[in-house]
Amino acid sequence: MDWAWLIPVFSFAAAPLIVVFGKYLPGKGSWLSILAIGGGFVVFWFVLGSWLGANSGTSGCFTSENTGLLTCDYERSWFNAGVVGAVGSVSLHWGILIDPLTIAMLGLVTFVALMVQIYSLAYMKGDPRFGWYFAVHSLFAAAMLTLVLADNFLLLYVAWELVGICSYLLIGFWHERPKAREAAKKAFIVTRIGDVGLLVGILLIWREVGSFSMLDAFEAVRTGAMSEGVATASALLLFLGAMGKSAQVPFHVWLPDAMEGPTPVSALIHAATMVIAGVFLVARTFPLFEAYDADPLIVVSIVGLVTALGAATIALVSTDLKRILAYSTISHLGLMMLSLGAFGYTAAIFHLMAHGFSKALLFLGAGSVLHSTEFQETGDMGGLRKVMPVTAIVFSIGALSLGGIPILAGFWSKDEILVAVSDNRNVTFIVLTLFTALLSALYMGRAMFLVFFGPLKDQNSQAHESPIAMTLPMVLLGVLALGFGLISFNWPGSFGGFGTFLFFGHGEGFHFEVWLGVLSIVMAVAAFVVAYQIYVRGSISLEGVRSRNAGFLKVVENKYYFDEVYQWTVDRVVLVFSRFIAFFDRAIVNDIMVNGPADMTRRFGVLLRLHVTGHVYSYTLGMALGSIGLGIFVWLRVV
Amino acid sequence: MVDLVYFQLLSAALFVIGLYGVMARRSAVLIVMSIELMLNAVNINLIAAASHLDGTGKFANFDGQLIAIFIITVAAAEVGLALAIILRMFRNRSTVNVDEINMMRW
Repeated sequence: MDWAWLIPVFSFAAAPLIVVFGKYLPGKGSWLSILAIGGGFVVFWFVLGSWLGANSGTSGCFTSENTGLLTCDYERSWFNAGVVGAVGSVSLHWGILIDPLTIAMLGLVTFVALMVQIYSLAYMKGDPRFGWYFAVHSLFAAAMLTLVLADNFLLLYVAWELVGICSYLLIGFWHERPKAREAAKKAFIVTRIGDVGLLVGILLIWREVGSFSMLDAFEAVRTGAMSEGVATASALLLFLGAMGKSAQVPFHVWLPDAMEGPTPVSALIHAATMVIAGVFLVARTFPLFEAYDADPLIVVSIVGLVTALGAATIALVSTDLKRILAYSTISHLGLMMLSLGAFGYTAAIFHLMAHGFSKALLFLGAGSVLHSTEFQETGDMGGLRKVMPVTAIVFSIGALSLGGIPILAGFWSKDEILVAVSDNRNVTFIVLTLFTALLSALYMGRAMFLVFFGPLKDQNSQAHESPIAMTLPMVLLGVLALGFGLISFNWPGSFGGFGTFLFFGHGEGFHFEVWLGVLSIVMAVAAFVVAYQIYVRGSISLEGVRSRNAGFLKVVENKYYFDEVYQWTVDRVVLVFSRFIAFFDRAIVNDIMVNGPADMTRRFGVLLRLHVTGHVYSYTLGMALGSIGLGIFVWLRVV
Repeated sequence: MVDLVYFQLLSAALFVIGLYGVMARRSAVLIVMSIELMLNAVNINLIAAASHLDGTGKFANFDGQLIAIFIITVAAAEVGLALAIILRMFRNRSTVNVDEINMMRW
């Protein structure tokens, strides 16, 4: 298992090779990138196999006191800051930590990245920066894989920032378009606000524990060496970083704008790399959150709930297909956070994976639609199932899965979240979570019916099914979105379900609350039926609802004015403050502190050079007076 | 024998006259001559001091004389160099008045 570091290394190696040699290689080196991530996917199976075969006696492995899971840690010395052994010196390591969480993430990331890259072969065909696209794609996947493997906070932070810069490069991939440039900057800057919290949190832990190792930090929390205040503060600071990356309110504004990137990039960002990093961070550092009274988890669950509910309402009124999916992602990320906040560790990771497969599928489907119709607005689509049957079927599978229709992956994971919330949080939470699930089914139904059902518009009569390189990844993802839920059951034999593979504390088999399950099934089915009636049959008119709630509708359609508030803050607070800083810099730092000494030296020089008169007698007089002065000095000293 | 202080007074008088010449004269040639005067004042001082070291009027050692001979040698070289410079100056500027030769100033 100690060779699991090979997984990111393949992709790390591929990126510079493509940049340097891409133009001499067939296909501009794209196959190199696919080979690398494919190799990572193969190694993932070996890692899974050797983890299953390992026990607490295996080298590097032990049963964690915090999670109760078999955890394997392999670290090497990185560098020493200061003299080894001296007070204040720091010895840094880099290493990999393998536990079920890592393994689950490795599988998700390598598989989805592989699918997206194969899909991109056809989608990005003919793009002038085809090679560069695959190079950054490789780096993106490598950074995310490093992030999930990291066993210390420093390596995690490095990978975290690499993920950020790769998302910046890919969102702004078509940087000829001003909107893409703006979106890339927005994504980078907004997530950076959270990153500051993450960095401060890491440093706080380091100051308290004296090590960047996660296991040391968890151990310190368990034994009480880290006080409650520090544990709570560092958990909240780490959560700030997670909020930025995982687009939680109020840092969600970058994600919908990130749709300016190529659609496969959206699929990657939403399913496998960027946004789930935040959820992963909270799950990875769960011992910090859960320590003492688990106070940070209350914050996590509230932020998650607000995000889930707010984004779901916006998704319901958006008209741009990719934006509907983007807000849907935000909403589901909120659900994952909510689940973590309600001690639903297994449910959150399960939903992360189920959502990852479904959302990658939906984005690839949306990309397929965009590729053939050139439209983004749902109003310009409709009836596309007649011309793109494969896309229509797999997109519907993804939509039904996220909408929570039984048997599909999303249903089981959502149900687990509902159980966790109803067990550990009060009645307001469960009601609002159920409402979010209802909205989720409604907007998924709306997107699906608006795009693929109803009459085919004339402008789309030329639309056609996408090539095999695009449909094959979608079908494979569709199979997973359909059947992934099966791994949650207690199968006969040695496998006791996902809950016994990945858990926090103690393993639990599959469980199901009948009233919640029935309620959620009824709601999901009803939501899809209502959506069908509204958007296909037209038998239910929304005009009455729209006119009665015009005020609220306007607020939602304007995305609760988050962008406006940010704009106002930037204009009125940040820029005003910047102007003050700029003035201080120019007037004090530059004019007085930098130019001041230079100016003084010059003035002094002007005065000093006056003694160079060019008259011999003045020099002679100076020499004579100087000699006399020296003589008097020596005489006085001697006597 | 003559007391040392008279030699020193003579030496000091010569030195001050030389210094006055360097400071007051305009002609470069006269300034060089004044410098020679100052050097010789130093020579007198050295030789007198050397001959009075043990207070007997006999030569105790030759340190002072050695340095005086050394100064005479250097002075000869210096005069040769100074006169060459003054000659070049006269060729270029048609004057040896040091007040008019003031290019090397601010």
